[in-house]
Amino acid sequence: MESSRGSLVAESLEALPLARSLAGPSGEVLGVAPGPIPEAEAARVPADRIRVIDPAAPPGASTAGAAFSLVEAAQDSNASLVLVVGSARGRELAGRVAARWDAGLATGVTEIRPGTQGWTVVRPVFGGRATQELALEGRKAVVALRPHAFSPGSAPSTPPVIEHRAAPTLPPLATGGGVSAEAPVEAGSGPSLAAASIVVSGGRGLRSAENFHLVEELARSLGAAVGASRAVTDAGWRPASYQVGQTGQSVSPQLYVAVGISGAIQHLTGMMSSRVIVAINSDAQAPIFRVSDYGIAGDLFAILPALTEEIRRVRGGPSAPASR
Amino acid sequence: MEIVVLIKPVPEAETRLRPDRGGAELDPAGVKFVLAGYDESAVEQALLLKESAPGTTIRAVSLGPLARSEEVLRAALALGVDHATSVEEPPGVAHDPVQVARMLAFVVSRYSYSLLLGGKQSGDEGSGCVPSAVAEFLGVPDFGSVTDLKWDPIAGRFTFRQSLERTVLSVEAPPPVMIGLQQAWNDPRTAKLPMILRSRKAPIDRVPRAEVEALLARHPRPAVRAVSFRLPPPRMGARMIEYSSPQDAARKLVRLLTEEAKVL
Ligand SMILES: Cc1cc2nc3c(=O)[nH]c(=O)nc-3n(C[C@H](O)[C@H](O)[C@H](O)COP(=O)(O)OP(=O)(O)OC[C@H]3O[C@@H](n4cnc5c(N)ncnc54)[C@H](O)[C@@H]3O)c2cc1C
Repeated sequence: MESSRGSLVAESLEALPLARSLAGPSGEVLGVAPGPIPEAEAARVPADRIRVIDPAAPPGASTAGAAFSLVEAAQDSNASLVLVVGSARGRELAGRVAARWDAGLATGVTEIRPGTQGWTVVRPVFGGRATQELALEGRKAVVALRPHAFSPGSAPSTPPVIEHRAAPTLPPLATGGGVSAEAPVEAGSGPSLAAASIVVSGGRGLRSAENFHLVEELARSLGAAVGASRAVTDAGWRPASYQVGQTGQSVSPQLYVAVGISGAIQHLTGMMSSRVIVAINSDAQAPIFRVSDYGIAGDLFAILPALTEEIRRVRGGPSAPASR
Repeated sequence: MEIVVLIKPVPEAETRLRPDRGGAELDPAGVKFVLAGYDESAVEQALLLKESAPGTTIRAVSLGPLARSEEVLRAALALGVDHATSVEEPPGVAHDPVQVARMLAFVVSRYSYSLLLGGKQSGDEGSGCVPSAVAEFLGVPDFGSVTDLKWDPIAGRFTFRQSLERTVLSVEAPPPVMIGLQQAWNDPRTAKLPMILRSRKAPIDRVPRAEVEALLARHPRPAVRAVSFRLPPPRMGARMIEYSSPQDAARKLVRLLTEEAKVL
């Protein structure tokens, strides 16, 4: 499981019901929390046991310590599968754990089932332009899940048993690093791109930085994160951290709304594995429509305000962030 | 400073992807393998660090089928990298990030380095777990999703930002470190003709396949086998919403997203 500022991140809860169903009625699910978590939160986790690593590694530490604890937990429980939240750090952690535990490894996984030997997994590759199915043939596997690919479950009827383990003391050479500053992503402007379940991105069709607020207002009405094409970040209308695509962020939300974005391959590479794609573009022939599920051919300057208004109407005012 | 950059040959962005005859892998016929994506940024970042810290040397290391890895190494040499090492990949391990990392760590450990650089993920399969696995084998700390990577010669530390999902960290770390780069300070440069010509003749150190095969034989593992490589069902193209006014378009879209797609 992964936590942020002492609380489990929502994606952690996506791994547990999956672990439960893969473990079967006789199998055991052990959740590993990388630091103390509130009791009320622990009670919601559908695991048999939760192992809390105490104290939490300082922010900015390498994943070496977490990997050590996770391998220890896997060995103690004679695990056959370690599921990891597929965040940026989760994928790093997965690499270390698999190397240390000498297990099979796959990241960005959207499906997993028992294979004839070991596990069979499916994962999008080439930014969602293809899918790859792999057989991890050993008895042990580490699998990092793609965020939002699995549904979070409901709280268990009996809360998990909590156990505590001391965090390892590793030589500084192995852990390195220290944080000099920490800033929440885009403070106050909604969920971050990679974690969001809805993303609204704007492109050159917005024409200027001054118009970009139209995209942000739509995003706010949806509780969505805001992204941009490279045309926008190159022009400096928004910082590079907004960029979605081959040389920016990869996102795979439930819903991706592309506004005034033509659909260049380098942009598609970052968002093609979104579940539902909506495009709004004045050019009915724009390539973005070929990969979208729903399209509105029209002037964004007319459509966006109407859409924001309609969403506010059905949702009853600006809503809370939709990041689960 | 000594920098080692890990680069993977990947199909160029415009490649038309299709499965091979067996249906298990990407069909490599006619595909051009290039230095691209985050790995290209990693090379750019290494060159920028070299420009800011005189005396720096850069070695690029690439694992893959020989022709492909030497192609990307020549591209890196043409950009200004000093040395290159190609590691010939044995068959059957391309999809196993742990064995890939084991081979890279084995080769990298021959060199001295204060910085190990790679893209935060590759431009093809994008696993994003090889840098940290290499770091685990070498016993060095690793940091992914890194931007603004700088060397502070007075403090003797690297400083950088790590853009995670919910937070951006400013981190300082003493050498040696493994960095998975998200973005260099600027867009990757393009090679100049004289350098391209020179790179064609530059020496490349080769790690023969027998050597890495012997390594893997000492660490046998169950296979990671490719079962299928599929293209998503061709998206039929958007269902275009017909509307009489912007408000009408908005109402129809919201209804479709709520009732049909069920994403609102
Ligand atoms: C190596 C490399 C890496 C790259 N990486 C990325 C990346 O990571 N991400 C990325 O996004 N790009 C990337 N690019 C750039 C990419 O090729 C495109 O240039 C870029 O995505 C175009 O951005 P855009 O769609 O906003 O602009 P354009 O292609 O100019 O499209 C603007 C769109 O807005 C529409 N429009 C105009 N006015 C209106 C209106 N009033 N109402 C509605 N629609 C309107 C137009 O019809 C058009 O389709 C990369 C390029 C290279 C070479």
